[in-house]
Amino acid sequence: MRILIYKLTLVLTLVFLSNYALADKWSDQFPHIKNTGDIPGECSYESMSKKDYSGRTLKINTHAVPVMGEPTALHAEQFRKLTGAEVKVVHTPAGDLYAKAMVPFQAGQAPYDIVFGFSNFIRDWMQYLEPVPEKYVNMRQMQDVTQSHIGVASWDGQMIQFPIDGDRHYLKYRKDVIDNPKFQKKYKADTGRTLKIPTTWKEYGEIAAYFNGWDWDNDGELEYGSAEVMKKDDLMFAAFFSRSAAYSKNPRTPGGFYFDLETMEPLINNPGFVEALNDWVAATKYVPPGGINFGLGDEINSFGGGQTLFSFSWDDAFVKAMEDSSPIKNKVGAAPLPGAEKVWNRGDNSWDMGHNQAPYIVWGWAAAVAKKSKNHDMAFDYLCFFANDANHQADIAIGRFGVNPFKKSDFDPQIYIDRQGWDPLIAKSYAATLMGMEEYSTNRVFPLRVPGVFQFTGAVATGTSKALAGQLSPKEALDEVAAEWKKIIKRVGADNIRKAYAVGVALEDNKK
Amino acid sequence: MKFFYIISKYLAITLWSMFVVAPFLWALSTSFKDFNSVTKKATYIPWLQFEPSLEGWKVLIRSPAKGGVDIIEPYFNSIFVTCSASLISILLGTLAAYALSRFTFKAGFIKNNDITFFFISQRIMPPIVLSIPFFLMLGYLELLDSLFGLILVYIVLLMPIAVWIMVDFFNKVPKEIDETALIDGCNPYQAFIKVVIPNSIPGLIVAGLFCIIFGWIDFFFAFILTFTEVQLLPVKIVALNSSVTPWWSLSASALVSVAPLIVVAFIVERYLSKGDLSGALK
Amino acid sequence: MVVTHFKMNFKHKFVFLFPGLLVLIGILIFPVVFTVRLSLSSWDSVYPGLDFIGLDNYIRLFTDDKRFWESFFRLSFLSVTTVVLQYVIGFSLALIVWKDILFKRFFRVLFLIPMMTTPVIMTVIWRTFFHESLGPVNDFFSLFDVTPLWLSDEKLAKLTVIIVEVWQWTPFMFLLLLAGLLSLPKEPFLAAAIDGASPLRKFIYVTFPLMAPISIGAIIIRLIEASKIMDTVYVLTSGGPGTATETSSFYIFIKGLREFQMGYSAALSFTYLIIMIISLTIIAKVLGKLLINRY
Repeated sequence: MRILIYKLTLVLTLVFLSNYALADKWSDQFPHIKNTGDIPGECSYESMSKKDYSGRTLKINTHAVPVMGEPTALHAEQFRKLTGAEVKVVHTPAGDLYAKAMVPFQAGQAPYDIVFGFSNFIRDWMQYLEPVPEKYVNMRQMQDVTQSHIGVASWDGQMIQFPIDGDRHYLKYRKDVIDNPKFQKKYKADTGRTLKIPTTWKEYGEIAAYFNGWDWDNDGELEYGSAEVMKKDDLMFAAFFSRSAAYSKNPRTPGGFYFDLETMEPLINNPGFVEALNDWVAATKYVPPGGINFGLGDEINSFGGGQTLFSFSWDDAFVKAMEDSSPIKNKVGAAPLPGAEKVWNRGDNSWDMGHNQAPYIVWGWAAAVAKKSKNHDMAFDYLCFFANDANHQADIAIGRFGVNPFKKSDFDPQIYIDRQGWDPLIAKSYAATLMGMEEYSTNRVFPLRVPGVFQFTGAVATGTSKALAGQLSPKEALDEVAAEWKKIIKRVGADNIRKAYAVGVALEDNKK
Repeated sequence: MKFFYIISKYLAITLWSMFVVAPFLWALSTSFKDFNSVTKKATYIPWLQFEPSLEGWKVLIRSPAKGGVDIIEPYFNSIFVTCSASLISILLGTLAAYALSRFTFKAGFIKNNDITFFFISQRIMPPIVLSIPFFLMLGYLELLDSLFGLILVYIVLLMPIAVWIMVDFFNKVPKEIDETALIDGCNPYQAFIKVVIPNSIPGLIVAGLFCIIFGWIDFFFAFILTFTEVQLLPVKIVALNSSVTPWWSLSASALVSVAPLIVVAFIVERYLSKGDLSGALK
Repeated sequence: MVVTHFKMNFKHKFVFLFPGLLVLIGILIFPVVFTVRLSLSSWDSVYPGLDFIGLDNYIRLFTDDKRFWESFFRLSFLSVTTVVLQYVIGFSLALIVWKDILFKRFFRVLFLIPMMTTPVIMTVIWRTFFHESLGPVNDFFSLFDVTPLWLSDEKLAKLTVIIVEVWQWTPFMFLLLLAGLLSLPKEPFLAAAIDGASPLRKFIYVTFPLMAPISIGAIIIRLIEASKIMDTVYVLTSGGPGTATETSSFYIFIKGLREFQMGYSAALSFTYLIIMIISLTIIAKVLGKLLINRY
């Protein structure tokens, strides 16, 4: 009996050590995964090393360096070492990703095996893409992806884009101001209200206006209220939808946020959106000088550089602020987007008073395989490898990579505390905020994913920027947008759009 | 009075020089900064106002797997494509310009001026709409993502400039010169090469420079018509432009892009002065 | 001017002209025809392919597209202003460095450099230069306690675009005019010197008329190029604030490559082409009458 126990212990020890040895073997060769070693799975380093793609070439079009561009190139290097394939990576700025993919696709060609883009391209380019094969969907690493991100990557139940990143809009604020007793007292004394994390856009505006235009962190420079994406470029309409979600997404009137699903009547100029645009025009008073020409890069520079109190779009600004070299590291916090104190009820044609919240599951980076590519097997293996557990854990710990949490196991605060030196409280609130938007929300807004999506968003961008510039009043601007939307619907075909929009509405009204 | 005149001349060119140089100095200073030096406030002097770093420059030779963009190969690609296309454009364009300046063409109501205008009107079309047809055309000829395909497209873009400028310069060279040469027994080709060309060097130099410049700075066609094999410099540099606009590396790359052309500018100036037609026309 | 015909065969003139002309037509014929055909279709991201919808795109742009005509108006304003400024400044600079002056060659080279910068990259530098809170321009203005909104005020944004364009393309005028000056014959100037003309009279009666043909050529080509202004607007303001700096070329770009309405964009381009050809022909004739036939 004793001998048996000894033998068992020996065997178990050997197994344990050999796993360890295996992990060390890969992390020695690939320092990128040194913190976790290789994590076993169908697409792990170990598995990939067994594949032989030598003599074949994989072509990838990805985003500029470093956001998404650097991890693409890094994983390409690793993939090459493991499988012998030659991987050619091309980098394109964000605004041009669509054109760079669509022009060849529409000319009947597929010069890239893998194309990166934003997940809201899906309806426009899915006809040129190869759906993700069952075997990848069923892998353990894929099952770990949150439901909303599987939804974002799929169309009508079929996974078209390979989840490699997750994105959402959330509120970022300066902890050293909001949680500061000195300022809390001052604010209360001056305004009679409490200084706290804003729960409505009105509160957001009040607090931002109060802290606008004076030096509240004693660095010798003026600070301002909020940094927002207001430049009339390809992204600003997302900032607008973030602001309007809570005013217009009414859980009592399902069946459409952008359009009424039944009638295909645009809802973009209803009072909910107008109210949000009113707020936004007011915001032009508490952004830094030149703020209405801020693109995402400027917003990151501004909030991440310590210039403003608030910001609320993508992860990048927060991640930048929490980098080791940042002077405001561990001085920022994350919270859900503000809601609204009232929401428009289009059934009753009146406001429903009472707090309403509606997270905006905004699009993020997506990658997909071209249908006409001759290297489906290699391409999907690459993407799977990109998103494998070991790589993913390493990627989300490197801020500049732009890979943000989208797997259930990503929402563990320890990752950020250990690997990136985040303050435990901040890490916990970050994980909780993100998790809350993903898994627990039942009243949310999904990105618009209908045919001709960029015609709709282009109209929104033009209209709202005219209001911000003061060329039109908010109501006039949105009426103009609605009129433009009607024309687009006529051109593209109401039925086409309804069919596509229904897919999104089903995800939005998701009642768990 | 004369004094005032001289002072105002020097003042004017000094002011303009400052205006010309200002963004370059800013770019130079910015190329040594990093995120923190850029986001607090405007800073100018390294060591005094900010900690300089070579990151902006090093990124230009690093591979993308380490967060950089390697511009060395695109650099040479751009030089090759620009020079080849310019050379061919100048050649074909100068010949055509000579014909339009000296001879009369008449086909129905289309006259010389119309043909000249036809050449230059090629430059009016916004490039965007030409993207799909050029794509299809080069795709059919299997010239996509190739140096030769790009050169072909650039010839179309640059030749009109050569024609337009050379017609003006040839018109300045009096026809008597040609006639004298012909009377002396030259055939038209010899007259052209031996007599007219040497008298229009400034024009050739200028046309050549413009061809090189417009070829070097093109972004759009290089962007649409190349994929992974051939990358030109502007397309590669723009690969740095992700969410966080890297002021530092873009500044460094702007300076690096302009460098070879500065050399060309020196050469141009030299020949321009030489072609000064001071003295009798031979 | 007496037109002398060379005594030679037909074939010579075609040998000179045709290589260039044929290459141009050969490469361009398909794209141009395709663009016209494209404008008669409704090719966009949803319905790629050349269906035939007749003149619908044109009807739409003439009756239903206020934005296109507004952008045209803006474009005219911006391009005419920049070209006039470039001409005046370029000519003045060329005149100054034409004759002997200290460091003449240095200045000549220096003044050429701005047009050699790649617009796509250089405009990013300008964007940081004019950044309202982090750029040097407003750092300077903060001495006077003002913060001009270079890129976010409707009027100032236009001014900023003009400044950048003038910086970049004045060298073009400068070089062309300088080359023209350097190839002027000496005789008229000798005659003027004998007559004892002042510098001003010399300029008005000798230099300027002799430079008239080149001036017209330079202005026309600059107008063509200026009208295609894209990268500057795109990087600096994206056509904003609102639509304050949105030009036709920018609008065509947005409709074409961002919204992917290729068919409509082709119709816009073709209309733009026709309008430009007509206006340039008129401008060339007007300038010709003004400048050449006066003396």
